[in-house]
Formats: sequence, C-alpha cells, structure tokens
Amino acid sequence: MSMQNIRNFSIIAHIDHGKSTLADRLIQTCEGLTSREMQEQVLDSMDLERERGITIKAQSVTLNYKANDGETYQLNFIDTPGHVDFSYEVSRSLSACEGALLVVDASQGVEAQSVANCYTAIEQGLEVIPVLNKIDLPAADPDRVIHEIEDVIGLEASHACHVSAKTGEGIDELLEQLVREVPPPEGDPDAPLQALIIDSWFDPYVGVIVLVRVKQGSIKPRQKMLIMSNKRHFGVDEVGVFTPKRESQQVLNAGQVGYIIAGIKEIDSARVGDTITLASHPAEQPLEGFKQVQPRVFAGMFPVDADDYDDFRDSLEKLTLNDSSLSYEPENSTALGFGFRIGFLGMLHMEIIQERLEREYDLDLITTAPTVVYQVLDTKGELIEIHNPADLPEVNYIEEIREPIIRTNILVPQEYVGNVISLCIEKRGVQKNMQYLGRQVSLVYEMPLSEVVMDFFDRLKSVSRGYASFDYDFVRFQADKLVKVDILINGERVDALSIIAHQDVSQRRGREVADKMKELIPRQMFDVAIQAAIGRHIIARTNVKALRKNVTAKCYGGDATRKRKLLEKQKAGKKRMKQFGKVEIPQEAFLAVLKVDSK
Amino acid sequence: MNPETLLQTPPLSLYVHIPWCVRKCPYCDFNSHEAGKEINESAYIAALMSDLDQELAINQHREIKSIFFGGGTPSLFSAESINNIIEDVRNKALLSTDIEITLEANPGTFEQQKFSDYRSAGVNRLSIGIQSFNDDKLQRLGRIHDSKQAIMAIESAYAAGFENINLDLMFGLPAQSVAEAIEDVELACKLQPSHVSHYQLTIESNTYFHKHTPVLPATDFIWDMQQHCHDTLNKHDYLQYEVSAFAQAGKQCLHNINYWTFGDYIGIGAGAHGKLTDINKPSIQRRWKQRQPAAYIKHAARENPCSGTSELDQSDILFEFLLNALRLRHGFTYELFEQRTGINKQRLLEACENIDPDLLVISETGLNTSPRGFDFLNDVLESFLVSKK
Repeated sequence: MSMQNIRNFSIIAHIDHGKSTLADRLIQTCEGLTSREMQEQVLDSMDLERERGITIKAQSVTLNYKANDGETYQLNFIDTPGHVDFSYEVSRSLSACEGALLVVDASQGVEAQSVANCYTAIEQGLEVIPVLNKIDLPAADPDRVIHEIEDVIGLEASHACHVSAKTGEGIDELLEQLVREVPPPEGDPDAPLQALIIDSWFDPYVGVIVLVRVKQGSIKPRQKMLIMSNKRHFGVDEVGVFTPKRESQQVLNAGQVGYIIAGIKEIDSARVGDTITLASHPAEQPLEGFKQVQPRVFAGMFPVDADDYDDFRDSLEKLTLNDSSLSYEPENSTALGFGFRIGFLGMLHMEIIQERLEREYDLDLITTAPTVVYQVLDTKGELIEIHNPADLPEVNYIEEIREPIIRTNILVPQEYVGNVISLCIEKRGVQKNMQYLGRQVSLVYEMPLSEVVMDFFDRLKSVSRGYASFDYDFVRFQADKLVKVDILINGERVDALSIIAHQDVSQRRGREVADKMKELIPRQMFDVAIQAAIGRHIIARTNVKALRKNVTAKCYGGDATRKRKLLEKQKAGKKRMKQFGKVEIPQEAFLAVLKVDSK
Repeated sequence: MNPETLLQTPPLSLYVHIPWCVRKCPYCDFNSHEAGKEINESAYIAALMSDLDQELAINQHREIKSIFFGGGTPSLFSAESINNIIEDVRNKALLSTDIEITLEANPGTFEQQKFSDYRSAGVNRLSIGIQSFNDDKLQRLGRIHDSKQAIMAIESAYAAGFENINLDLMFGLPAQSVAEAIEDVELACKLQPSHVSHYQLTIESNTYFHKHTPVLPATDFIWDMQQHCHDTLNKHDYLQYEVSAFAQAGKQCLHNINYWTFGDYIGIGAGAHGKLTDINKPSIQRRWKQRQPAAYIKHAARENPCSGTSELDQSDILFEFLLNALRLRHGFTYELFEQRTGINKQRLLEACENIDPDLLVISETGLNTSPRGFDFLNDVLESFLVSKK
C-alpha cells in the first residue's frame, strides 16, 4: 500500500465521553472483526480496564477503509489512556500519529483532561478533528459545545462531525473527514530503518511484543535488528499489525504502525521511547524519545501472611514486565514486616496495581497510606530523596524539606467556581490564572502534590456535583514548613503510620489520625494508648479501653463443634489484623491517615 | 487416632433431648420447636427407645453415671412418659447406684402433682429455667412465666421432695440495671437451691434477637453486674466451678462435669450429640441425630436416626479437650488429660508455649487458667486453635 493511503490517528476523549464505543464502531464499520468476534469494547483488554471503563495501556488497531473516492485506506488507530495518572502514555501514542479525533460528549462539554491532551497533540503538530459524540441524547447541545471547544481550546469547531457511536449515526462522514483531513505520514522507505518503540509488553508465548511506528526505512522477518540505546541485537521473527487480532505481514514500511517479535526475553531490552534500526544498515541518529516517567506516589505494600513474601516478589516482577512505570524496592517495617515500597504514577495506578495483585495473584496485602516524594536538604548540604516518611532524618539534621508542587488546570461550570476556589485554598493552592470561557471557568493553581494525592479528586467532584475536571503537571520541588507526625501505639512509634504534614495543620492532622485510630482499633485484652507526636512533643493522645472479659457464657452441652466454629470465625477475623507488640491493628488503620480529611 | 499414652474408657452419661417448647424464646438457638396443639409423645418416646437400642448396641456393658433430660422443655412431657424412658434405660443398661437424673423444667408448664410424679419416676435433680425474678425482664426475654410462677415452681419442687435443684439465671438483660441483676441473684440465694447457673445473655445468630437486637447494657456495665453477682453468690457459699456454674459444696452437676472433663455421652433425641471413646479401635467419635423432630421420628422407626458421625484426629482431640476442661475453674490434671485423650502431656505443654504466660497456670500436676485467663478464655482457646486447611 502506498504511503499516501495510510492514516495514523488517535482519539482524545475524557473518560465516559465514549471513546471505546467509538473505537468499537470504527472497527465494526471497517470490518476489522466479524460481528461474532466483536466483543464490546475490544480495546480495553484487561478485565480491570473493562470493569472500570478506562484504558491503561496503549493499543493499536489497523483497519482498511474503502473511501468514497474509491481508494482503500489503511487506518492505524492508536488508543490512548484517558486518566490523568497515565497522561505520559498519551504523548507516546500521539507521537505515532499525524492526526487526532477530539471526542467531546455533546451534552457534557469539554473536560480538563481532554484540553491538556489536545494541547499535547497540537504541540506535536497533529491535525486535530473535533467530534461531537452522543448527539442522540436528548440533553445534547451541539451548538453550545462547539462554542466551548472554540472558547476553551481555541480550536475551530464549526465543521465538527456530529456522531453517535452508539447508534452509528455520522460514522461514515467521520471516516471520510478523517481520510480527507489527516495528512499521510512522511518518511523514506529506502532510508536506514528508524522505528520508535511506542509500547512493549510481555507475552508468555512469544516473549516481548514491541509496538513501533516506522519513521524511515522498513523491517522484515529474518533481518537483524539493533536497539540503539543498548546496542543489543535481535533476530526479527515476525512483524505485523493488529486488526485488532494479531496479523503477521511481510514487511512494515515507513509510515506504518505495527508490532515486532524478536525473541526478546526482558522488557528492559526494548524500552519505550527507544529507536530500533537494522544491524546491517544502522541509522546514524536515534529518534527523539520520551521522558522517562517518574513515579510520583509511593506506598508500602506488605503481605498479610509473611509466608507470602516470595510470591509477592514474583508477582511484582511479573507485573513490571508489562508496566515499566512500576518501580519497587524492598522495605522492612517494624510494624508490618517485610514488604516493598512501590512507586506509582498516581492514586488510580496504585489502586489498579493493588487490585491486580490481589485478584490475579491471589495475595492478601496491607497497603500503607501513599506519600509523595520529598527532598531533604540536610545540614551537610546533601539533597536526599525521601520515599517514606519513616526515613526522614532527625529534625536537627534537616536544613529544609522540599515537596513536589504541581500546576493544575481545572475546568468548572460557573456556579461551582466559589466552592472549587475554597477547596484549592484549603489544599494550600496558589491561584495562577482564572478565565471565564463561556459557561465554564478555567482555573490554574499551583499546589502541593501531597494535597492532590490525599483526596483532592473526590473532594473536587463532590463540591462541583461531579462537573469539575482537572489535569496536572509536575512543576518543581519547593521548600515549606513540613514536619513529620508519628503515631505511637503503647509508647512505640509505628513506622508505617508516620505522615509528613504542613506545620500549620500538623496538630489537627495528628489529632484526627489518633481519633481515627481509636475508632478502628478494636477493644482488646489491654488498654491501647494512641499518641500523635512531632519529634518528642506529644500533640494528641487517646486510648482504646481494655475489654473486661472475652468468654462464652454458655457451652452448647454436647455439641463441641459449634463452639469451635465460633472461635475459628473469630480467629479468621483477626487474620486481617497485624500484631504490633501485643496490640492487634486492623488493616484499614494503615490507610486511615488518608481518610481523616474526607468528611 | 494413634494414642501415645494409655487411652482409658471414660465415664458414660446419657442425654435425652425433648425438642418442644410452649413458645420459642427470642434469644434461644437450641434445637427447640413450638409445640403447637398436641405433641405425639408416644411416637417420640418410641423413637427414643429405638435410638437408645442402637446406641447401647455399640456401648455394651458400660455403666451410666447420669441422665439429663434437656430441651426444649422436658417438663412439657407427662411424668408417665419420663417414667417410661427411665424404666426403659434401667431395663437395657447398667445404671450406677448413685446415678444423677436431671430434668429441665420451665415455670408455667407443670403443677405440683407432676413434680411429685417426676420424683417418683426417679428424677432426682431439677433444673428450673427461672432466668429472672423481674417481671419486666421476663417479658423482654419473651418468657411465658412471671416472677410469682417462678417462685411457685421452686416451692413446688421442694414440696415434691427434690433436694437437688438448679436455678438458671441470666444477666446483661435488655434495660437491666446492676442493682436489678444483683437482686435476682439475692432472691435466688434466699431460696436455697443447691446449684445456680448464672449466664450472660448472648445474642446468637439464627435467633429473633439477632435480627431485632434489643438495646443491651454497655459491656462495662455487664462486667460490673458479673462482678457483683459473683460476689453475692460467693457470700452465700455458692462457689464457682465453671464459667457460668455455681454450687454448694458437693452439689456440682455430675452430668455437666462429665462434659467438661471430656467424658463420654450418648445423645438420644432430635439433634442430640454424643461422644464415644473406643479404646480397642482406638478412636474417639462424635455422633449426632436428625434435627427435625418429624425426621427423627421417621428415621428412628425405620432404620437409624443418626445423621452424622465424625472421628476426631489428634489436633481435634487436644483442642476439644481444652475447650471443655479449661471452662473448669480448677482446670485439669495431666493424668486426666492423658487418660481421656491418649495424648502425651508433653504435646500439651508444647502447645502452651504459644500462650501468653499471664493467662495460664502450668503446675507440676496439671493445668488451669489464671483468673485473667479465665476471663479471657476465648483468647486462650483461640491461641490453641490450629487452623485446618
């Protein structure tokens, strides 16, 4: 196929705005799958993705479309994740495309996440085609939304396609517009190979599958390929495209998006953003890659049963095969034993990983409250990164503590703007910009990431009745008056419960956490003293009174099995608790630090 | 099982279950059923006799030390029926000369004559379900009697010639004050029964109270009640020998002590449980009967009313021995442990190593809980529990 007939594109859409349904509809229209094979939302292939209705990993589909001009076009659709935690994957997907469909729900209007991704697409020089979806809904208001796209994003939208992915209305026109407006890829098929790795994942049958965009040259089976950063050689076994079934091809040419299988065992050998060339005719320069993503949120995870530690480590290793953004290091907690401190891209990423570990690998885990990365400048002038509040040096060795600051863009309907501003102030936000754009207001704030990690998203949704949306970017580390608040149980510091808080709110936070602990720790044989402390200074104390007795009054005569079953049930209930000294601390307590604010 | 020490044949008791009540109490999770218009006593008695035949066939030549008619409300049955059962046992089995025969009776289900006839039939111990002498509390517990009937029941028992009487009392009742709980115990002591069972009301699953739970006194109040009530019982020379059992000197309930010392028992009647040791096999077996009275009667008449048996393995035996024997205030001797379980005492002492030393008293001759361990018996037992896969 001539390069003139190739179109590479992505879809930018907010969660719920119908990206997956639209993708399904496109696949169906181009007969990528027979209707028998057509499974709802084929692109979200992980169970979790389908359940949560979000895309986590980029995927690609190659479709053949016979346009009205009589030509057949190859449409390469590269899927993008829709959640802020995974925004780095978006820019990766976009770099493989020449165009993007900006899908906006015709009843809901533009959301912040789409704005951010849309700007990324424009910056990368993509042709952005606005699409109004869900026009079959009674609440659809295409004219208003068209104005919103023009006001908020500054994108000419009068020609926007009106579609309903659900009913199929407008899909043919959309495909025609796509073929017409998205430019074909450029590149010289005869130049030395340059293929950008967009994604790679581990398949138990064939090893690592590498998804690439071929920029120059071509690649075929039996050639020797070279990964440019690490100079490793692999023999190409197979190349092809996803339709969305994996379909092998003779060759991948410049302009195409497709996969390569080359007997690669470790995902580290073919990292995302790297360039593949041919060993026989190597390219002179690698392509410009992507920034390595930095985990922003860290949490400790510990197996409830210490015997599961090895299984836990193996499971993490397997997960990392498919998720290079996941990083972990062993952690030893006096309260929780051996486990790992795991770095995540954000809270959703953390929840997904925890769920996968528990569901797919059948592990019982205790997760500690997530924390952001802090930088500590010590008295010797050294800068240390802190992933765990418990690792903070003694106060007298600390010159200053710096916390990550993010810049957030919030889009909110006018009537809720007051609530959102109050929330941002409460979260130590500093306003940078505020703009009225039609019905919506765009707010730009700088605020500490730690405040966002806590519960910002939930609170934002609740103060705006679900209408506000936001997006953020890391900007810098910044020193502030931060202190470590420790929780002591019966006089002993529980490392897994320490938090870092701003001095102005540290007293209140300490009290709240102590109170929450009191609520969560059940009465037991001994008094349990709970204290919150900053350094040696106790800022809050409370206690859980001892039970007076725990004995069954009546023994059921001859039936010993009943009594035994009761005791077994009681004991099983305690399995979800962690023994700290003589005190049993329930699992929820370790996440309680997170929950105190959300009243 | 594979005994490490010489397993001995323990004493044998007989439990007879009468599964009917006038009305089901809202806190009760025992196998009891509302009697309705009329109970077919003779059909049930025939079933009990057939059940007994089959049980005795596998327990030949063993002496029976005690019989206990429990329920339900056994005093719903006529003295003639009770007499027939006792006669039947006497004809088929060897009874010890000082046999204890207890019958549970609920106030409001009998008159003076019936008690006299029970006595003549051979019943020598009555256990009366008083629960409280406070009318308001009795009503909240859904009992069919009031305090006047309760006192009358006790007086009738004395008049009928019973000397060995137990009163069942409950505390921690809905809307009960500490003073009211003590009052109940004071009144009971004044009536001079030989034995008092003093239970805390517990909300069990599968009861009316579990679904519609009444407001109960705060746990710390209940603890105060218990302390004061125990002091009162002590003051009147009722000594605690088990978690909920108090007796005058020498008047402990032999039948219950047999349970708590891991003795053997035959259980006949709907849903009755039995435990039998066979030193020849050797094995310790639990057996239980059809729960529904109608099914029980049907099965007993045709073939076998047994609905299940299970052989205990060593870890079951160790745990179930402790489950029972540690309920006794003074615990047990290693000698008794080895005889009843066939397990070397060393294994017991190893199991004790996981237990908080504050909770157990491990002496030269035996094992018992400390006063604190006695109050936290569930925690002690839980630590002995080995989870089974």
